[in-house]
Amino acid sequence: MDQERSKAEEDLRVIRSLMERAALYRAISAPAALVAGCLSIFAAAAIYLNDQTSVNRPLQGRAFAAIWLIVLVIAVATNAFFIWREAKKDGRPFISSGMKLSLRAIAPNLLIPAGVTLWFLVSGYKGAAEQELVVAWIAFYGLALLSTGLFAPRSLVCLGWAFFLTALALPALKNVAGDLPANLPNIAMGITFGLYHLIYAVCAWPRRRADEIEQFAVE
Amino acid sequence: MFDFQKLDKIIHEKWRLAIMALLASRRSWSFQELKAELKMSDGNLITHMRTLHKQGLVSVTKEFRGRPQTTYALTAKGRSAFREHINALEEIVKEWKS
Repeated sequence: MDQERSKAEEDLRVIRSLMERAALYRAISAPAALVAGCLSIFAAAAIYLNDQTSVNRPLQGRAFAAIWLIVLVIAVATNAFFIWREAKKDGRPFISSGMKLSLRAIAPNLLIPAGVTLWFLVSGYKGAAEQELVVAWIAFYGLALLSTGLFAPRSLVCLGWAFFLTALALPALKNVAGDLPANLPNIAMGITFGLYHLIYAVCAWPRRRADEIEQFAVE
Repeated sequence: MFDFQKLDKIIHEKWRLAIMALLASRRSWSFQELKAELKMSDGNLITHMRTLHKQGLVSVTKEFRGRPQTTYALTAKGRSAFREHINALEEIVKEWKS
């Protein structure tokens, strides 16, 4: 009876872990986060150094937005590549049910930042509204990640919260601390899209682990 | 005392139990997805799927989407058998604890 009980417990544990794992979808792969993080830190450092030197005038307005949009395009392409490679390796379809579910959850959150970006590129840049642009990008990126919370691993949800809370803190910081450095938007982009993605990549990096199913099945 | 006859012998086999658990987590799974998730050989997976299909626990759909693709899903009978099996396992655990 004791043996049957422990076998039943083990069976239930494996069933639970299999069902939970099968329902998970990681919308951002760890290698893609590493590339995006490094790229963002490089972009933020380049903009910062450019602002510090007197050779060129501080990078603002459309040029600032354009650099970060290029980083976005490269990061999205890199993420698609790594997800495709992983799917190919496992013999799964690239556009899986998990991906469709993620895209459906994420898409509505991208409408407002897309609108703010468009407004910034057309007229917002004249009013030096980089901070508003950056807050919209960070906040809605965080919300997009949080919207996948029902089927995303915990690390991705934590990343979403980190982005969202940082976006909330930025305007508050301005009110509390008064004068802030003019390049705060760039620093915020470097910290969030750079450092946060690097931390996520480290936490989510695939590790070699004992195969539960193998142990479960071979006795 | 728990009646061990309640345990479905077809589902109780470990690989088939794992297959049933995955099929219960989503509407359908392709052969390749199941194979990748469980890290099983083609032959082993086909054998277990045939057994489950023969018992009416799993439905099989063969389609051509650029290349032949076989997808599997739990039938109503399979879903209810799986639920009953889990209830039986929980009963064993509870009985021992009480």
